Amino acid sequence: MINYIVRRIFQVIPVLLGTTFLLFVLMYLIPGDPVRLLTGEKAIDPRRYQQIRHELGLDRPVHIQYLHYLNSLLHLDLGTSYQKGREVKEILFEKFPNSIRLALAAIFLEVVFGIAIGVVSAIKRYSLSDVVVTLTSSVLVAVPVFWLGLLLQIFFGVKLSWLPISGMGDGSLRYYILPSVTLAATSVAYVARLVRTQMLEVMRQDYIRTAYSKGLTSWQVVFRHGLKNALIPVVTFIGLDLGALMGGAILTETVFNWPGVGYEIYIAILQRDYPVVLGGVIVMIFIYVFLNLLVDISYAFLDPRIRYGKRED
Amino acid sequence: MDSLVDFDPLTSKLVPAVAESWRSNDDFTVWTFKLRRGTKFHNGREVKAEDFVYAWNRIASPKTDPPSDIAYHLAPVKGFDEVQEGKAETMSGLKALDDYTLEVSLKFSFPDFVYVVGHPALAPVPKEEVEKDPKAFGLRPVGNGPFMMAEPWKPDQYIKLKRFDDYYGDKPYLDGVEFKIFKDEQTAFLEFQAGKLDFSENIPSGQIETSVEKWGESKDGYTAQPGKQVLLGGEMATYYLNLNNQNKYLKNPKLRAAISLAINREAIAKTIYEGVRKPATGLIPPGTVGFRPDQGKYCRYDLEEAKKLLAEAGYPDGKGLPVFELTFNAGAGHEDVMQAVQANLKDIGINCELKGMEWSQFIDYRQKGKHQIARDGWIMDYPIMDNMLYPLFYSKNIGMDNTSRYSNPEVDKLLDQARKEPDEKKRIELYQRVEKLILDDAAVVPVVFYAHRAVAQKWVRGLVYSPMGLVHLEKVWLSK
Repeated sequence: MINYIVRRIFQVIPVLLGTTFLLFVLMYLIPGDPVRLLTGEKAIDPRRYQQIRHELGLDRPVHIQYLHYLNSLLHLDLGTSYQKGREVKEILFEKFPNSIRLALAAIFLEVVFGIAIGVVSAIKRYSLSDVVVTLTSSVLVAVPVFWLGLLLQIFFGVKLSWLPISGMGDGSLRYYILPSVTLAATSVAYVARLVRTQMLEVMRQDYIRTAYSKGLTSWQVVFRHGLKNALIPVVTFIGLDLGALMGGAILTETVFNWPGVGYEIYIAILQRDYPVVLGGVIVMIFIYVFLNLLVDISYAFLDPRIRYGKRED
Repeated sequence: MDSLVDFDPLTSKLVPAVAESWRSNDDFTVWTFKLRRGTKFHNGREVKAEDFVYAWNRIASPKTDPPSDIAYHLAPVKGFDEVQEGKAETMSGLKALDDYTLEVSLKFSFPDFVYVVGHPALAPVPKEEVEKDPKAFGLRPVGNGPFMMAEPWKPDQYIKLKRFDDYYGDKPYLDGVEFKIFKDEQTAFLEFQAGKLDFSENIPSGQIETSVEKWGESKDGYTAQPGKQVLLGGEMATYYLNLNNQNKYLKNPKLRAAISLAINREAIAKTIYEGVRKPATGLIPPGTVGFRPDQGKYCRYDLEEAKKLLAEAGYPDGKGLPVFELTFNAGAGHEDVMQAVQANLKDIGINCELKGMEWSQFIDYRQKGKHQIARDGWIMDYPIMDNMLYPLFYSKNIGMDNTSRYSNPEVDKLLDQARKEPDEKKRIELYQRVEKLILDDAAVVPVVFYAHRAVAQKWVRGLVYSPMGLVHLEKVWLSK
């Protein structure tokens, strides 16, 4: 197992090299000049323009810039934002935790409600509650995030004044409710449908019949034997979704004015603030790799037949 | 932050701030500012002339990180170029003659320079605070205004200020002010509707009419009163079409005039800007000292005359003209206006194709004169006509801000003359003549004047949102 984990961690190196290289090439190819975006619309002296390019190292050939960046990366230096003059590390340290907290809140809703709804509609297949849940989840999957967010803001924030409309405020739980519900809505529906399908599949298996015949209660059969086995694809989905949510829920962050990393990177792309884009993407890669690893490890827990790092005899 | 002088929020007239008086030599190349005694920084130290010298050099210095994009304000000061190029540390034109006397020598005669020093960016800065920890200073600047930072600024979230009790001017009524930073104006507006914001700068598009019905419109457009809370006053900025005057076709003034006459400004202002922005009557926006509403001979909608001029230009019904490229920065809300312009020009036989570009690519394209017709806009830094006419239309500024590449010796001569004219009235007249000449030449095509779209709560009192977008917060109080 340890070998497996170490091997997986080392796998991040080619991924990182590939992604940073790709980003460098892309940024070189797409139109847009960071110096122009930095100095504003008003004309500046061409000598001064060249000087700033030089200071930012943009006058060097792109492969030199890339090697230079890799060298800094080895020293854990993500560089300085062109636009803000602040260290990228500092900006990301400030923003990532906010995105992670919001993502965790959303995942919590996904897990609790997604699984519960999925199980109920699978057990009570074709009942009224199953139809309602299936219909609602179909609608939720299709609803655009900004629209749902706006509706929740108007209803709970403006009309009822129950919940804060935007921002993180003092960081208390109430500030998380509307953005995490918005963020989770689509995924709750998706998880519910996934669980439902998987449960229907699993509940038809022989071992479930065996479990019933052993005299176990329905509760025990559903949760211990049914759900646990139905969860593998669900865990994969949730793990990847968590990665995606942490990497930035740009729309939700925009609508709820959430100081997260997604919006930060989005703006950095528009401003051609390369160090922020690269730094943000690198951190995201690590998060993804780590979460993927967690997901893989959790398979072993969910399905005892799965073992890593040992050749079958 | 208080600079040397300030502007009256409604009339834009100069009023003293840190400087209690000022004078210049006869040719307006050397300016002397007498500073008020006893004005203080938020750290308690008195503001002295040397603090302006330090602050201004800091803005001009290329070593400032990130480089200042407002350095151009100081371009008239002697030694500015040397500092920008890294050949000198300080501008030779800046001298603190004593603690309360600042002398500024300029590269050229500039009677309106006193307006430049009213810009909030040119406020003094305490050297000891910057040098103690430049990074911390960036997040919690120490200034000299009526409010001071209550805590370090939270980037992209908020800035919290508290009252500065040692302020030299009118004492603020408010204990503090919190500026909330929003990514989306719709969200900000919802917070306003929920009563969580006292003032919102942007009513989202499509909601002006209902807002006016709900909260009432301010009479002058700048002052908020209960029941008259929506502020739609004009801003000192002009939206225009930049015609490349060196283009083979567009160098013909009659063709340019025909284009100007074909633009239905009323319709654009009404349908696209919900009547908030006003049809431009000239180049200089209202609020600027010397504004005249009757300058633009071709700033009206007259298809018949447009067609006549087009024929006189040698292109009857647009025959012989190529398909013009109408360039704009994409994704910034200009598509609608550009489509309207395209349709308007088609009505007289001029065909255009829209070309949306990424912002930095667009400004580069326009600046290098590669464009034919491009979207443009100018926001005044100070309420003086020189601030628009000189950078945009003086022929030596081609390659810099004169991106329409307009060159008229008469305009150059009058601009030079205006910059030397000691009498303010005569000077204004000279600038008005310049504006008229440019408009008679239809060098560019003004479309609309910008306007506020702000709203205040009914409990907000004493709030004046100036045409330059500034609020004297020390005069605001809440009646709750």
